[in-house]
Amino acid sequence: MLRQYLCCDEKFFPAHQLAASLIDLAISHGVDRHKLLRSTGIFYEDIKSGTATLTAQQLLKLVNQAQQLMPGYDCAFQLGRRIFPSNYGAISNAVQHSRNLGEALKLLSLFHLKICPFIYGHIYQDNNKCHLILNDALGCGEQFKFLIEAYSTALVSASKLIFGKRIPFHFNFPYPCPSYIQEYEENLGQRICFSQPILSISFDKKWLKEPFPYHSNSLKTHAIHQLKLGPQQGFLEAVCFCLRHKYSHTLQETAKLFALSPATFKRKLKQHGCSFQELQDQLRKQQAVYWLQLQGLNNEESAMKMKFNDIPNFRRAVKRWTGLTPSQLRLK
Amino acid sequence: MNFSLLAQHNHLISIVFGVVSIAFSLSFGLGDLKAWADISWLDVVGEGGIAVLTLVWVFFLLVSRPPGRVTRLLTLGLSCYMFSALLDMFDEFVHYADASAWLSMIESIPALMGMVVMTWGLYLWHQEQLILNTQLQRREVSLREHDQVDFITKLYRADYMRGQIANLLKSPETANFSIVMLDMDDFDLFNRLYGVSEGDRLLREISELILMNLRQSDLACRYAGDRFILLLLDTDLELANEIAEQIRAAVKHLAFKTKSKGNAVYHTLTFAADIAQSGDKVDSIIGRVNRQLDLCKEG
Repeated sequence: MLRQYLCCDEKFFPAHQLAASLIDLAISHGVDRHKLLRSTGIFYEDIKSGTATLTAQQLLKLVNQAQQLMPGYDCAFQLGRRIFPSNYGAISNAVQHSRNLGEALKLLSLFHLKICPFIYGHIYQDNNKCHLILNDALGCGEQFKFLIEAYSTALVSASKLIFGKRIPFHFNFPYPCPSYIQEYEENLGQRICFSQPILSISFDKKWLKEPFPYHSNSLKTHAIHQLKLGPQQGFLEAVCFCLRHKYSHTLQETAKLFALSPATFKRKLKQHGCSFQELQDQLRKQQAVYWLQLQGLNNEESAMKMKFNDIPNFRRAVKRWTGLTPSQLRLK
Repeated sequence: MNFSLLAQHNHLISIVFGVVSIAFSLSFGLGDLKAWADISWLDVVGEGGIAVLTLVWVFFLLVSRPPGRVTRLLTLGLSCYMFSALLDMFDEFVHYADASAWLSMIESIPALMGMVVMTWGLYLWHQEQLILNTQLQRREVSLREHDQVDFITKLYRADYMRGQIANLLKSPETANFSIVMLDMDDFDLFNRLYGVSEGDRLLREISELILMNLRQSDLACRYAGDRFILLLLDTDLELANEIAEQIRAAVKHLAFKTKSKGNAVYHTLTFAADIAQSGDKVDSIIGRVNRQLDLCKEG
C-alpha cells in the first residue's frame, strides 16, 4: 500500500516557515521585497497571515530569486542556521524531545516533509560508521545544491545547539569544490569532500546513542501524533520507494501502483524534472556505491547482491553510473 | 538603486530645473518658431542627446553623493554646461530676430564657465578621494572591486583576500607575510539570545575594532560567518601572534550594548596565525590556519 505522497504543484508548506525565514534574510541583506517575490505567486500578506500554504514549485522559485538577488555566497548557509529551532511546530518538538541522535534522525527521515521537504535520507550502518544517503524528494533541479547547503548547515547547527558541541560529520558532495569553500568550512567544518559519486553524510556510530538533554517521551509522542496527518513523502521519493522495495520494476507497473496511466505518470515525472530511467539509474548507482565503497565488498559479492549474472557486465554498468570502475570506487 | 540621497539635494534639484526652464523661456520667448521643414533633425538629435545625457550625469551625481562643496560645484558646473547644450538645441527650432541675435552669440560662454567650475570641483574631488582612501586603508590594498564587499561588515569578502594572497605569493620578495584567522566564541548563542540583526550589528562593530588595532599596511576581510581573516605584510609569526592577541584583548573589553535590554555583553575570540612558507598556495596557507583554529576551538 502506497503512503500518501506530495507533488511539487500541491499547496502544502506553511508560508510562515521556510519562505518567511528566507524573505526576512534577504530583506535584511538589502534585497527589495517586490523584486524578491516577483512571479513567485507569494504575497507578503500571506506570510503574515500564518495560514497560507505554498507549493514546492513556489518555494523553489523563491529560493532561486533570493540566491540571485542576495549579495555574497552565504544565503544558503544563513538560511540553514535559521531552520532549527524555528516555527516548524510538531517536528521541531518531536526532534528536540527525542531520546538520542539515532532516534531524532529516524524521526526526521520519516517526517522530513514537515521540516526538510526537498531532501530525504536513508540511514545505513556498518561496523563503526553510520551513513545518511540523501536524495531529491521533489525535483529541485538547479536549486538542489542550494538546498543541500542549507540543510547540511541546519543539521550541524541544530546538533551544536542540542549537544553544545560539534559532532564530527563527514560530508560527501556530488559536485566539484565551489569557489566559496570558506562558507563550507565555517558552517560544516573541515571534513568535506567534493566530486563524490553520491551525496552522503557519515559519522561515527557511537554518536547515534548520544543522549539528548531535553528527552521526554510523552512530549515526543504527542508531537508524533500531530505529525501523522497528511502526506509524508515527496513524489520522487515515493517512486524510489516502490523501486527500492521491488514493488514494481517497470514504468507501467509503477504507474499502476500510483493509480495513474503510464502517460500521466510520465508527465508527472517530467514535471519533477526527471525520467523513470534516471531514477532507476540513480538507485542502482547508490546501491553499487553502497556495496563497493561503504561496505567494501568485492566485485563478485557486489554483483551478486545487485542480481548481475555477469561480472564484466557489472563493471560496465558501474562505470556508466559513476564514471569510475569498481576498483577505483573502492579506493575512493 | 538607492534614491535616499536625492531627498537631501532639494536646492540643487531646483537649480537644475531652474536652468532648464530659463533656457527654454529665453529661446522660445525671444525667437520665432521655424517652419517644420527647416528643422535639421540630425542636429536636434546630436545636440539634444548631449543635453539629456548631461542631465543623466547630474542625476547620478546627486544619487551617489551626500551634499557638500564638491557635489555643489560639480552640479553647478554640469548645469551651466547643460544650459549651453539646451540653447544649442532650441536654436534648431527657433529663428532669432536681429534684436535677439546676442543669444546665439553668447550661447557657448556658459559651457566654458561650467567647465571651469567643474574642473575646480574635480580638483577638490581628487583631494576628497585621497582622504577617503586613507579612511579605507586596512580595508583594501591597491585594487578596488566594489562587488566583492561584504554587505554586513563592509569589509571585503574572502575572494578579495584570496586574490591579494595569490598576488603576494607570486614573487618571493613579498612572500614573507602572516595570515591570522579570528573567530568569535559563542556567536551562535548571541544570535539566538538577541536576534540575527543584533548579531549583524555586533559583527560590524567587531570589524571596526579589528581595523582600529591594525597597522596601516595590514588588510582585514570577512572570511565567512563570524570568522575574519587578516593579512599582515612583512610580519613574522611572533609579531602576528602579538597583534592578534591585542585584537583579542580589545574585543574582550568591548561592552556591546544590546538594543532590547541595553545590557552589556562581552565577547571573546579565538585566533590562529601562520606565516607563508615557500611553495605555499593560497588554499594551503588558508587551510593550515583554519585547521589550527579549529583545533584551538575544539581543544
